[in-house]
Amino acid sequence: MTAAETIGLTLERGMFKLSNVNAIIPKGKITAIVGPNGSGKSTLLSLITGLSPPDEGSITILGKPAEHYSRADFAKAVSMLPQSKEFMPNVTVRELIEYGRSPHRSMFSRKLSKEDHDVIEWAMRLMRIRRHDDRMFATLSGGEQQKARIAMALAQKTGLLLLDEPTTYLDIAHQLEVLEALVSLNRQQQTTIVMVLHDLQQAAAYCDHLIAMKDGEIHSAGEPKTVLSKGFMREVYELEAKVSFDGHYPIIIPVRKQNEEEQTMIIVTNTSQIVKGSGDKLVERFDRIGKVEQMEGFLGLEVLWTQNLKEYDEVAVVTRWTSKDAFQAWTKSEAFRESHKHRNIPDYILDNKITFQEVKIRRNPITETALDETAAQ
Amino acid sequence: MNIKQRTKRRKLVLSFAPVLVIASLLLGLMAGSVPVALEDIWHALTTRGNSPQDTIVFDLRLPRVLIGLLTGACLAASGAILQGVMRNPLADPGVIGVSSGAGLAAVITMVLLPQFSYLLPAAAFLGALLSSVIIYTLSWDKGASPGKIVLAGIALNALIGAVMNGVMVMYSDRIQAVLPWLSGGLNGRSWHHLSFMLPYAAAGLLLSFRAIKPVNLLMLGDDSAKLLGQKVETQRMLLILLASLLAGTAVSVAGLIGFVGLIVPHAIRLMIGDDYRYLMPASILGGAALVALADTAARTVFDPVELPVGILLACLGAPFFLYLLRKRSNWR
Repeated sequence: MTAAETIGLTLERGMFKLSNVNAIIPKGKITAIVGPNGSGKSTLLSLITGLSPPDEGSITILGKPAEHYSRADFAKAVSMLPQSKEFMPNVTVRELIEYGRSPHRSMFSRKLSKEDHDVIEWAMRLMRIRRHDDRMFATLSGGEQQKARIAMALAQKTGLLLLDEPTTYLDIAHQLEVLEALVSLNRQQQTTIVMVLHDLQQAAAYCDHLIAMKDGEIHSAGEPKTVLSKGFMREVYELEAKVSFDGHYPIIIPVRKQNEEEQTMIIVTNTSQIVKGSGDKLVERFDRIGKVEQMEGFLGLEVLWTQNLKEYDEVAVVTRWTSKDAFQAWTKSEAFRESHKHRNIPDYILDNKITFQEVKIRRNPITETALDETAAQ
Repeated sequence: MNIKQRTKRRKLVLSFAPVLVIASLLLGLMAGSVPVALEDIWHALTTRGNSPQDTIVFDLRLPRVLIGLLTGACLAASGAILQGVMRNPLADPGVIGVSSGAGLAAVITMVLLPQFSYLLPAAAFLGALLSSVIIYTLSWDKGASPGKIVLAGIALNALIGAVMNGVMVMYSDRIQAVLPWLSGGLNGRSWHHLSFMLPYAAAGLLLSFRAIKPVNLLMLGDDSAKLLGQKVETQRMLLILLASLLAGTAVSVAGLIGFVGLIVPHAIRLMIGDDYRYLMPASILGGAALVALADTAARTVFDPVELPVGILLACLGAPFFLYLLRKRSNWR
């Protein structure tokens, strides 16, 4: 049995696309929609609820095409918690939740019926905000405001409840509290629940069905345990992670991303055999070679002596560059030519050799997994 | 504002407002260059004698005060509806072109077709409605969002204003007749004016109560209102039409009275909150009392000179509005 089904849903809004989405929301179950930011989760919800019309495709709600519902009847069948971006009027918590009853009330009725009151009480108790009922909505904490907004959607008493990021703004304890409440709503009243969640662990632990979206398409759907895997993490989130299950609770341990852009570096070693004791002169000479540190692609300079200060007979001046071109650009530079212009190789330099080495750099070569593996061995 | 304060203020405002309306009615009948005592008013209203005093009360002051009350009620209701529909506390009937449309129609009637000057109220009324419809149509693109309506309104208001000024410059010898109307006043308004506006005002004010629930829901935002079963676009169109009808009715007889539609609902909102179940009736009563009182002041304070009530209201309204702007900023 399906509570809602979309066929070939397509929408294009500038940069954003939803293409050929065929989603099935099983009836009486809790479904999580997951996926990276901008993958089309919220858009899918707003299409299902008719907040925006699709370019193509159709939506069926409880076996009936969505366009056959009047807006008022639809509000009795489907309720949704939108992401909270919109202005909230200056009302009490109870008054806010009363708005949720409006699809069930006539235009003129000023008094709430007994049923309205009962439903509002029930929604407040389920979300555990009964004690705040007379407080002004604006004075609640972010988490309590979110629970009040959920209670408003609950007060519509619909068979299908959609929630766009219901646990955002809540601390971990309140997140679990809300999810538990939704689970018990589902178990007691067989309400079909669909929620956009960012926390995969919670999605897997609390939901029966998982729909994963990626770039405006459905990547995969099914039981969380079958969907969540290492490959899933890589394809949907472009993330290396170990995925294992502790009962229903998945454990996802991300592997720290290595710097994938491997860099190369040119090491230019200028080695000079010199007359003993004349090293100072060589260093001084290098000092005068102009402006190497200002060159593009210059990474660093070291001077290496091969023997102790008084006695050394070999000095290596090592410069490091991002590329050979960068080094050559320096040798052709105005400053370099200026400093070499009127100078011959002095007597104290017996021999001089320049070598190039091209090396690869890997930053953070030692990762946690590498450490783990080493420890295991 | 906590709930206890709010309950207290709601009770206070909603019980004080009707008293204020009755007081403004009585004061309007009593005050003037010929003061009339309270017991004589009763006599004039019940017996309809032919004494000069009876004539003053029944034929001069009573229609004028009633027109003042209706004008204020209509403008305030219109402003309240628009502030909710646009989700903007700065919305007033001018936003949807009521003032400019009515103004242009009035100028054309009085300046270009002076032989039809008796049609001024009807022309102004039609001008107001027509310009609102044009603005709404211009802003339509798979729906008319408040932002687009405001922008279309600014553009059309500027255009209409230019045409109106052009006509006034070209026929500057004839604009004397239309100037008092443009500054808004109730001078010389009589029973036939009242009978012109009464059906529209009555219908509009009754419909305002029908608007309470949709406006309350639209305040939650388009998405939330849709999710709660509202046909948002239809509701918004009907509500804007209603606001235009209300304000058009008011300006057709009273001329361009500004600030009432902006100030009254805004001030009442500050006192008792956003819930239109209370805001709407309180605004209607408050607007009625304000215009009636201001008109009485306009014709008595500088006696024998009579000030157009629109000027007096603007002089009171502008500083009060600045005060509100400085005091409150939690509207987005």
